[in-house]
Amino acid sequence: MANVAVLQIPGVNCEYETARALGAVGLNARIVRWNEPASVWSEFDAYVLPGGFAFQDRIRAGAVAAKLPAVDRIAAEAERGKPVLGICNGAQILVEAGLVPGFHPGRVEMALAPNRAPRREGYLCRWTWLRAGQGPGREWFAALAEPDHVIPMPIAHGEGRFLTADPEVRDRIQKEGLVLYQFVAPSGGPAQAFPFDPNGAMFQAAGITNVAGNILAFMPHPERATWLRQVPMDLKNDWGGRRRSAVGQWEALEGPGPGRVIFASLALKLASRVGEGARS
Amino acid sequence: MSAVLLTRLKITDLTAWTALEAGRRLLEPGHALTRIVREQLLLFEPEAGARAESFESRLEEAVRHSNFFVNPNKETYRLLTSAERGEVWSPPEGAWGILARTREETADEGLKQRLLREHSMPGLASIRRAKVWWLWSRGPDGGPAIPALSRALGILRDQKHGLLVNPHGEAAMELTDGTPWAVVERFLIDPAPAFRAAA
Repeated sequence: MANVAVLQIPGVNCEYETARALGAVGLNARIVRWNEPASVWSEFDAYVLPGGFAFQDRIRAGAVAAKLPAVDRIAAEAERGKPVLGICNGAQILVEAGLVPGFHPGRVEMALAPNRAPRREGYLCRWTWLRAGQGPGREWFAALAEPDHVIPMPIAHGEGRFLTADPEVRDRIQKEGLVLYQFVAPSGGPAQAFPFDPNGAMFQAAGITNVAGNILAFMPHPERATWLRQVPMDLKNDWGGRRRSAVGQWEALEGPGPGRVIFASLALKLASRVGEGARS
Repeated sequence: MSAVLLTRLKITDLTAWTALEAGRRLLEPGHALTRIVREQLLLFEPEAGARAESFESRLEEAVRHSNFFVNPNKETYRLLTSAERGEVWSPPEGAWGILARTREETADEGLKQRLLREHSMPGLASIRRAKVWWLWSRGPDGGPAIPALSRALGILRDQKHGLLVNPHGEAAMELTDGTPWAVVERFLIDPAPAFRAAA
């Protein structure tokens, strides 16, 4: 069974549900404090930076946490090919640490800026619709996402707008297919405006990977959509229908929710790597 | 000439404390950072052909008698009218500054509309937002070592260099001895300069 570290930083608040979601797909998740000895990090096969408000988002979301030695260690493990998933505040940390998109290794090439939508500002908490792309991160984080399937997932952030000031970085993100998850309309068509485009991110990006595809900065919260019981009954696609059909059926409610696809894809790839390791 | 409102927390500014703590870890040996103060800046820009004097007295009243801009329980402020502020902006004694603005439009139309609903401001074109970090620093020679400190704490370049400004979301300028207000105004009004991550 693959071992996954869930990084606990002061101010993070989604570490326990993230560990549970990882456990639900058969991964052995352990919550690891930011100040544990440097040697601990190499013991794991994968890393998840969960959501929350590390260091109260002081200066900028993720800015202080990105400087932690623990993030340095995780970056070194990622360079060896291990996967790293940053969820919401975790995504902000990965971007502030320069790990995504990583065209010029070590350089910070993006920001997660305050949400931008007409007549709206500040923190936004709602369900959104996503579609997975075909980029290099697919085998790690979207292998089980059906190509045309629209995945409902909740967001909860004030600074979730992926952007870069560098036109070359922007072009390469598009050309190399690094937008692994994109906000779309419930029909699967482009999210042209709020609410389907919830924050004004470039390319309506919900999740962007690094060039190698093993690091994903992902703004929605899959751990809040890992069980069917977490899905709102009024969702307007088949997930809402499934949720309504499950009313009163405890076993069905404990079934998978739409967000599980990310953790299950990670588990699948990790299992294949463990298999590769055993054969070699 | 514009009017300028500078506000800062009079209660402990935990963000500034965290910037100080995090910033100290980024310094090269021989350099010291003794204090950081954070201020919010609002620039009240008059319409073309108008003067800030046309709305400054009303603005002063709005600042003093409402909680619109300043929460007096938590914040303190300085309103620099176009007559009072002089030609140059001098940092607090012993300090230098980093002025940061969003790379996008700095004018806050929503704030202006909310203000105008309650307080008429004849001749006011826009309210522009920015943030100032004042730093008290010292290099090996006893001077403020602004270039070294700016590299360490200013524009974020990688995990080890930069902290206060992410250049993909913000543009920044240094405030050293006596920055002309005209330069500050242009910095806030003009589009942000281009930025290359690899440069």
